Amino acid sequence: MQSKMKESYPILEVDNLFASTDNLPILKGVSLTVYPGEIHAIMGRNGCGKSTLSKIIAGHPSYNITNGEIKFSGENINSLEPEERAQSGIFLGFQYPIEIPGVSNLEFLRVSTNARRKFLNKEELDTFDFEELVKEKLELVKMDQAFLSRSVNQGFSGGEKKRNEILQMALLEPKIAILDETDSGLDIDALRIVASGIKKISNAQTGIILITHYQRLLDEIEPNYVHVMADGQIIKTGGSDLAVELEKKGYEWTDNFLQQT
Amino acid sequence: MEIIEKIKNNKLIDNPTEIQKICLHKLQSSPLPNPKSELWRLSNKSKFSNVLDYSVNQKGPKFDMPYPKNSQSTIRLTIGEECHIKLIKENYSIQQLSEDELDKYINKQISCFDQNENWSDLLNLSLSCAKNILGLKINGSKIPPIEIFSHASSNSLNAKTLVIFLEKNCNIELLQVNLGKDKSSLSQSTFLSLKENSSVNHGVVSYGEEGSNLLNSINVIQQKNSEYNLGSLHFKFNYARFEIRIKQSVGNAKTNIKGMQITKKDEQISTYTKIDFNGPNGFLDQINKSLADDKSHAIFAGSIIVPKIAQKTDASQLSRNLLLSNLAQIDTKPQLEIIADDVKCKHGATISQLNEEELFYMRTRGITLAEASKLQLSSYFKEIISFIPVSKDRWDLLDKLLNEN
Repeated sequence: MQSKMKESYPILEVDNLFASTDNLPILKGVSLTVYPGEIHAIMGRNGCGKSTLSKIIAGHPSYNITNGEIKFSGENINSLEPEERAQSGIFLGFQYPIEIPGVSNLEFLRVSTNARRKFLNKEELDTFDFEELVKEKLELVKMDQAFLSRSVNQGFSGGEKKRNEILQMALLEPKIAILDETDSGLDIDALRIVASGIKKISNAQTGIILITHYQRLLDEIEPNYVHVMADGQIIKTGGSDLAVELEKKGYEWTDNFLQQT
Repeated sequence: MEIIEKIKNNKLIDNPTEIQKICLHKLQSSPLPNPKSELWRLSNKSKFSNVLDYSVNQKGPKFDMPYPKNSQSTIRLTIGEECHIKLIKENYSIQQLSEDELDKYINKQISCFDQNENWSDLLNLSLSCAKNILGLKINGSKIPPIEIFSHASSNSLNAKTLVIFLEKNCNIELLQVNLGKDKSSLSQSTFLSLKENSSVNHGVVSYGEEGSNLLNSINVIQQKNSEYNLGSLHFKFNYARFEIRIKQSVGNAKTNIKGMQITKKDEQISTYTKIDFNGPNGFLDQINKSLADDKSHAIFAGSIIVPKIAQKTDASQLSRNLLLSNLAQIDTKPQLEIIADDVKCKHGATISQLNEEELFYMRTRGITLAEASKLQLSSYFKEIISFIPVSKDRWDLLDKLLNEN
């Protein structure tokens, strides 16, 4: 299966990426390539640079790329604005989805969806047509329509916020989705709903990067590759069995690994 | 300052009325407010003098209404135009106050005026000729919404005065629109008297053009069991000053205020409020928002006075401010003066910028920075705009604001 994937072109290529914020180096040479249909998991201790990597790929203005490049569909996107990256098909699912008081979830989802549709040369949807589309997608994450009339993420529980992220992913139909600790704060049932939603959305053309601390999400969504990050680098890559090994051993060995190198 | 010179030399008005004489006399002894007083010290001196650089225009030139009349039932009046109103319907009546009633009321007000605190009203009443004073007595129920327009014409200073007596058990929706033309000054003073069990949903929307100035004051006296709700919006003035003075004369009254001022370029807009609880069981919920961009300056100074007689007062005053530029300036000072010992009073102020993380979140969903900022500002505006009565116009106004910001 993997050799078949490699016949196509990569969706995302991160090549020897160094990045910093406030002159503090965070990423120290990360390389990662994702082909269509692949699921990658990135694991590692808190503060190892996992979330920073996701934010930099999404274009967070607080981080500077000091070396290396990010290519999306073969194009260097280092200098693209976050909205340009999103419109072209990069989706970041936030670890802590942001609350935006006063902005209705429905309107926010509609404006976002239309921004992506415009990029894809698809017709933009009016409120009526969009409501039809969003109702269909709500089913995927078992969300109630009442969430649409509330302000974006305001007053949502942790699980509802994560489901709202997956709803956005379903509407935006990205080429690559980076899901930053989507499993954190979820109970077992909510985790299954979210995992099932992700599986239904992903397809042979989509790449997925799951950032997680735990094996439990990877029990629901089996990755093709597991990468272990420490001190701003990917120090080991393996198959799904690496996640099982990590769960057993913990992250202490990464300290030893760094000391040896 | 042409006007001040004329006041000093007693050459401002030909054939002044009794009220004008009294006010001019008060101004002659001290024609300008004390620049060191708390109420005036932050006022930009050159802009303030610009307000007084125009000649007084007592005529009421025609102007284009900015809004279509949204309903036939709305009563629309323009101060300064020949508006004689006498509506006596089955459920309600709206009649003009007689000259005697007006003189008596205004004289009573003037007798309590403080030179600094009421300087804007003193100037207004010195300049307002009889045709620019609109006095209404409103009675009854099921009263249609009322819209009152005041405007200043280019290269002149116009003074307009509105006096409304709201009789017992009477509820009204009142929208006041103050418009400044290019290079003009508008002095607008409003006096509202709310009798027992009456209520007003009062909207004040003021905006100008390049180089317009505004001195706008509202004086409200509330009798017991009355409710006064004020939603206000001021923007696009070279210099604007909005003064709100509310007195709950015997307590047991309710006041809600939601106001916003938007400043851009080098504009200065300030809001001064004084809420005086003169009896027990008074209620106030006030929020004032400022949004300052470019090199502009927004000011808020609020004062809540709770004397010993005002036990069981429940008052809240919050100032929320957004700085959109490194060169913009916001001064805010919510203030409580409490003597009574059994009260619930709180005040607070926040100054922040557009939330970077909210912006980034929206941008990662493909929304451009400009659109994301607009969505954020829209949510910031909504709380105030939705409080301004007369539904259709408020949304037209929101669009106008968003397109200009």
